[in-house]
Amino acid sequence: MLLTGVQAPVWAQSSADSAPLTVVVTTGMVADVARGVGGDLVSVTSLMNAGVDPHLYKLTRRDLSRLMSADLVLYSGLKLEGKMDAVIARLKKQNRPVVALAESISSDRLLTSGDYAGQYDPHIWMDVSRWRETIPAVSQALGRLLPEQADTFAANAERYADELQTLHQSAQQSLNSISVNNRVLVTAHDAFGYFGDAYDIEVIGVQGVSTESEAGLKRIETLVGLLVERQIPTVFVESSVSRRNVDALIAGAAAQGHDVSIGGSLFSDATGPADTWEATYRGMIEHNVNTIATALGGNPLADSLNPANNSSASNGLVMEVN
Amino acid sequence: MTAIEFLQIDFPAMLAAGLAGVICGLLGNLLVLRRQSLMGDAIAHAVLPGIVISFLLTGALGATTVLLGATVSAIVAVVLIEGVRRFGVVEPGASMGVVFTLMFAIGIVLVSVFGADNVHLEPEHILFGQLENIVWLDASGWSDVLSVERLLTLPSEVLLLGGVLVMTVGFITVLSKELKVTSFDPSFASAAGLPVMVIHFALMIMVAIATISAFTSVGSILVIGLLVCPAATARLLTDRYQWQMRLSALFGLLASLGGYTLGSLVPLYLQLDFSLSASGMIAVFAGLMVVVAALVSLRRRNQVIYEFNPDQAGQ
Repeated sequence: MLLTGVQAPVWAQSSADSAPLTVVVTTGMVADVARGVGGDLVSVTSLMNAGVDPHLYKLTRRDLSRLMSADLVLYSGLKLEGKMDAVIARLKKQNRPVVALAESISSDRLLTSGDYAGQYDPHIWMDVSRWRETIPAVSQALGRLLPEQADTFAANAERYADELQTLHQSAQQSLNSISVNNRVLVTAHDAFGYFGDAYDIEVIGVQGVSTESEAGLKRIETLVGLLVERQIPTVFVESSVSRRNVDALIAGAAAQGHDVSIGGSLFSDATGPADTWEATYRGMIEHNVNTIATALGGNPLADSLNPANNSSASNGLVMEVN
Repeated sequence: MTAIEFLQIDFPAMLAAGLAGVICGLLGNLLVLRRQSLMGDAIAHAVLPGIVISFLLTGALGATTVLLGATVSAIVAVVLIEGVRRFGVVEPGASMGVVFTLMFAIGIVLVSVFGADNVHLEPEHILFGQLENIVWLDASGWSDVLSVERLLTLPSEVLLLGGVLVMTVGFITVLSKELKVTSFDPSFASAAGLPVMVIHFALMIMVAIATISAFTSVGSILVIGLLVCPAATARLLTDRYQWQMRLSALFGLLASLGGYTLGSLVPLYLQLDFSLSASGMIAVFAGLMVVVAALVSLRRRNQVIYEFNPDQAGQ
């Protein structure tokens, strides 16, 4: 069908081309970095949208078309996109521009996952300072594709890195306002390891690092015991993970006479719904910090990076708390 | 869609699916005739303990160790299935059910005992491939399809399935008469001095190797469906062994190409914003072929169909 007479196109885009570079990314978090660094010079397509779990996502025929026609493919890495590994490996073997953001973080900054060495926790974006370290790799990759625009990318990268630095510091400030006793974050799966490491919060996930592992009864029982013993009042659900296990925790604690409430829904492995501020990486982190800080008795962020939010809106938030 | 995109994405996937279709169509016949249609499903589950043990022994999940562990496990399973059937005096379906659930359960217990929860030890992750992974990025034009040297750069899944097809056709050709007699009338075969057990185990080992290779390339649902549906379709349309073989292989191929076209190419052609899972669509297509054949064969109702059991074909 529709094949005859069509000649093979040239895959590599010439650098003199004025059309924006096509950048295909896996998750919304990666898309934010690509847009932040690429600006108007790139057109970013994300394969996974709101609420999609990257641990389990399988490529479709349509995704393949996008991946193959991309000028640059960016993915998170560390086996986050477990079911895409085979295709990514094949693209790399062809020396196509494919970059894993996680590769730019040195291994001593990575947390291990599970009992087996060599497997790292892939949820690096949860710590804004670590995610910030991935920006130069993106800027370099884009600069190699469009050398004459390398300076623009470098300038964009610097500005975006500054934004993330601001975000990191205000997140620290906000989360530091939580009293030490309350600094326990119980969530659906182990996505918040880096978050806890960076912002000094103890993190307990019901499921393992991959959402595919099932939480056994024993695990639920242990956690219920922990909630009751330490009188932890709040647990959190995640937008891309079933809340079944978290509900089991609440029911278990209630049976022992300890009331646990849901502190809110966090964005862990996927950004928020399209066309909202939470659809960006910065918006998602702000949402998480605000939700966690408020639920655990701290102060929300003093300011938002959201360009649509003028200062009066953020003042409103602060005043509400004061 | 351009020619190069078709060559790089669709051609290798259709080739892999087509090869799997013919392999499973051929072997599925012998399973349907022996009332062991669900052997593919049984093997898909029974491989887990082998994979876990080979992981525990080697500490790694390399392709070779996984395949080796899976194959040993599958062979143990087919021996046990035959043993339970003979000594337990139960029907083949029950025997398969007992053995594969037991072995799968042992695998799950092993995973939790050895605390490997965080390592992806599910067959879903390490053994089962998917059609969308099979891309031929080396392809640069139609002339590649005619050059042996270029064809050797096809994805490893396609080359593996090509090898297994040669092996399967060789096996079925060499043992043609023996397989036929032991499938239709084991007691006659036994009386005639044929080593029925040896032939049965040889067939089952062949099935184990073929299904495991197909699992790693195209995924489990596709293989399980293709082992049953084309053979059942052919069984509804003919009572002659030779035709049964030919039709079954043809239907396997047809299901693969038709299902892929419907799931992946048609949505692209209509410029829809999504594609369907290719494996899923192939299995659906294969199932629909059985339905159509069943309607066609209503005309043949007055003939006695000895071997076909609709209960099994529906599974």
